[in-house]
Formats: sequence, structure tokens, C-alpha cells
Amino acid sequence: MMKGILKTLFTHVILIIFTVIALFPFVWIITNSFKTRVQVFAIPPVWIFEPTFTNYADLLLEGDFPSHILNSCIITLTSVSLALFLGVPAAYIFDRYRIKSKESMYFFIFTIRMGPAIAFAIPLYLICNTLGILDTHIALVLIYQTFNLPFVIWMMRGFFQEVPSEIDEAALIDGCSRMKAFFYVVLPLVKTGIFASAILSVIFSWNEFFLASVITRSVARTIPVDMPAFIGLTRIHWEKMCAAGSIAAIPVLFFALIVRKQLIRGLTLGSIKG
Amino acid sequence: MFLRRKDMLPYLLLLPSILLLLGITIYPIIYALNLSFYKWGMTSGEPMVYVGLDNYSKLVSDPEYHNALANTLFFTAMTITLSFTIGLMIAILLNSEVGGLSIYRTVIMIPTILTPVVIGISFRFLYNYDIGLINYFLGVVGLTKQPWLGDPSLALPALALVDVWEWTPFMTLILFAGLQSLPDAPFEAAQIDGASSFQRFRYITLPLLKPAISVAVLIRTMDAFRWFDTIYAMTKGGPGIATETLSVFTWRHGFLYFDMGYATSSALVMLFIIELFCWIYMKTTFKRERE
Repeated sequence: MMKGILKTLFTHVILIIFTVIALFPFVWIITNSFKTRVQVFAIPPVWIFEPTFTNYADLLLEGDFPSHILNSCIITLTSVSLALFLGVPAAYIFDRYRIKSKESMYFFIFTIRMGPAIAFAIPLYLICNTLGILDTHIALVLIYQTFNLPFVIWMMRGFFQEVPSEIDEAALIDGCSRMKAFFYVVLPLVKTGIFASAILSVIFSWNEFFLASVITRSVARTIPVDMPAFIGLTRIHWEKMCAAGSIAAIPVLFFALIVRKQLIRGLTLGSIKG
Repeated sequence: MFLRRKDMLPYLLLLPSILLLLGITIYPIIYALNLSFYKWGMTSGEPMVYVGLDNYSKLVSDPEYHNALANTLFFTAMTITLSFTIGLMIAILLNSEVGGLSIYRTVIMIPTILTPVVIGISFRFLYNYDIGLINYFLGVVGLTKQPWLGDPSLALPALALVDVWEWTPFMTLILFAGLQSLPDAPFEAAQIDGASSFQRFRYITLPLLKPAISVAVLIRTMDAFRWFDTIYAMTKGGPGIATETLSVFTWRHGFLYFDMGYATSSALVMLFIIELFCWIYMKTTFKRERE
């Protein structure tokens, strides 16, 4: 009995310490976003203070930040929609049909997903430069398919595998066309998978920094590209950076909470069904 | 005729995806491969000069490239070792028969999904010599302040620690999922045979957990090897080139010096190394599926 209580206590204490370390930097950033410039620089740190909303007001009411939020939204939504539109049928075919050299195509798609962004970034930058589409939404939407499309195909193939092919066959026997069987019978059964793939792709696209920093300047600039700019040479805007960082983090947290059951499966490209 | 049309359908549906992927990956890689045989200072206005394999032989003898390679290996090894060790311990605790643990699983995933560049800048703030909280806490417990990101010998471990912070929850959750899927029977049998809890861990848990471990370690190795965002946000490879990894080295030659030929040769070597890891990954995970 005593041993059981000690074990419970020990487990919770260690896990609480771990959780506090995991959460602290994030909580601290949010706290700082409500401080004045003077309070942010104070040592010892100010723990209790009257929250100010000026950092958020400055960010959202003047300057370019609102247009960068809009850019992030446009690029994320368009690129995820495109990835789903192309990737979901492709995944279905990868799972259901016998196609020549399917496994090597599949391996190719995986290697793209894991490839270093820098390897694609230099040639893509030069190609976009030649085509005159640097700093446009469309360039980033297409380039984001280097990670979104392979991701959707890999995730969705796993979900299609869980639907027995007898279900498609039954629909075909009942007189459905292949298209109808796919849209009305199979797709509703993988709803969860489509939803999870979509949300995880949203998180990846929303967080993406490197390709965006290479391809965009001002017109199509996204939120992550703004972050390092708060720490300028002349003036360091920690308080504004904290507010901007919080704005960047809120949607991601919200989405991650929705897909927490599929998160690990997504981050391991379906290898672990957590 | 009808049958043939039906057989074309799968190809027609695959075609757009494959064409798009070829256009945004294979074509750029061929473009890069060609470029890597040239010397081309993009902004210098000088014409491209064909130099054969010179860029690659320059990589082999460039001490700054050796430095970047060594830093990348150190960074990868440190973050994988620490996040795996801590992750396994936390996963075992999460898997123990104690009530009320599921809340931790939801909360600890936050570092893994936050925008990496925001994490980088936040830690740059936390590591700051004068106003950073880490030095403040060190002062509170009576230790001396450290110039974390300013000291060439401290900066790289400091960066790796941020990566450990960011990715340990990911390791924890993968290993936890692995632990949850273990069968009960071998543990019961071992208990009856009188195996100690260490023996059960060493001879049953670890071998059965191997698939989850290999997925976690391989995915994280590939990620850490190509990592850029937090390093860029915290030090941009500095002080000097003390924290420059292969990604940052390539970025510097490409987008600061616009020495595109040299940068692409470095990028392609990285790509090759990661492809090798992908191949190992596919071998291990697919072997498991066939079994």
C-alpha cells in the first residue's frame, strides 16, 4: 500500500517537472507579450504586472504584420487544399491498384519528404528568379508541395489500407462506377484520416520558415519570416517578438489539440499508429 | 476499349501528383547537379565557368566544411542521445499503472508543434547574458552567469539542448505508443519465472520496443542532420563559425555569398547522405510490415 502511494507520488512529481520544463518557455513568451518594453528587460524578472495590450495593438494596427498574417493564411490554405486534392486520390491508387514500379515511386515520394530543404531551395530560388515569380504566393504554394504532397500521400495510404477492399468491390457489384465507389463509399470511411492529414499539413505549412525566407521578400512574406526581423541591428523588440510569436503559436496549438490522437502517426509518416 | 479506358484511370489520377513532384524536386535537383559543375558568383556579374568536379574537391579540403560536418554530427549525436534517454524514461513513467497520467501526454507535445523559428528566438532571449532567465536562475542558486551563445565552446551544446527540449516530447510519445502496443504474455511469463524488473526491461521491453526505437531514432536523425530554423534564429552559425552546421554552411555560401556552384555541391552531398538514411529507414520499417 505504502509502496503504491510512493510510486504514484514519484511518477507524478517527475512528470510535473518534465511538463513544467516543456511548457515554461512558451508560457514565458505569452506572459512577456503582455508586458511593456521596460518590464521585459527588467532583471529580476517581473512576475506580477498589469497586462498591457499595446504590443498586440502595435502589431495589428500598424505596419506590415497584418498582411503577413493574411499571406500565411492564404499560402497555408491553398497549399494544403492542393495537396489534398492531388494526394488523396493518388494515395488511394497507391493502395488499391497494381501499378508498374509502384514501390520505387513510393520510396521516391518518401525521400522527397525527408530531403533537406536547402537542397531544393537553391535551384528553386534560381528557377523562380528566372520565371520572375520570386515573392509571389503561387511560388510558395507550389514549393510547399515538396513536403505537403508526399506527406498526404503517405498518411492517406495508411488510412486506405485500413479500409478492406471488399467494401469497394461490394459497391462495384451494386452498380457503382469506380469514381462513385471512391467518392461515396471509401472517402467517408477515411474522413478522420483526411482531417488529420489536412490539419498536420496546415501545421507544417504555417510553421515553415526556411523556404519562405528564401522565396519571399515583402509581398508574399509569411509570419515565420518576420520573427528574426524583430531582433534588428538598431533596436531589439523582444516584447513585439513575443506578441508575434504568440499570434503564430495560437492556431497551431488549437489544431494540434484537435489531432492529438493522430499527431505521432503524422510525425512518423504513419510508421507508428499511436 | 472500355476495359483499356478503365485501366488508364489510375495512371490519370496519379499523373498530376507525379508530374508536380518531378517539376518541383527532380528537375531542380538535375538543375543543381549541373550547376555544381560550375563556378558562378551570381551577383558578381561574371559568366559561369565550367570547373568539373572542382566544387566537390574544394568541399573535401575546405576546413570550414569539415567544421560544419563535425558540428552537424555533434549536434545530431547530442540531441538524439539525450532526447532518446530522457524520452524513454518519461515514456516508461507515462506507461506505469498510475491514475491521471493522460493529461501529461496532451500537454507535453507543445514544444514539438510550436513554430521552430519562434522557439529559436525565444531561447535566444532566454540564453541572453544580461536579461536572459537562464542566467538569472543560475544567479539565484549562486552559480556564475555564462555567455551561452557567445562562447564558441558553449554555443553548440546550448543549441543542441534547445533541440532536446523541442524533440524529447516527440521521442516520448513514439516510445509510449510502442510501450502501449506490447503484448502482456511475455511479461507475465517472466514474472512467474522470477525475473527482476531490470531483467524484464532489458530482455523483454527493449527487444520488443526495437521497431518503435528505430523509427524514432531514424526520423530524428534525418531531421537533426538537416536542421536549420532554430540554429539560424539563435546564432546564424556564430560566434564565427562555431555553431555552423551543414545546412547553415550551405545557406551561407548560397544566400550570403551567392556562390551558387559551391553551395549546390554541398547541398547535394547532404541530400545524398539523407537518401542513404531514407533507404535504411525503408528497409527497417518495411521489413517489419512484411513479418
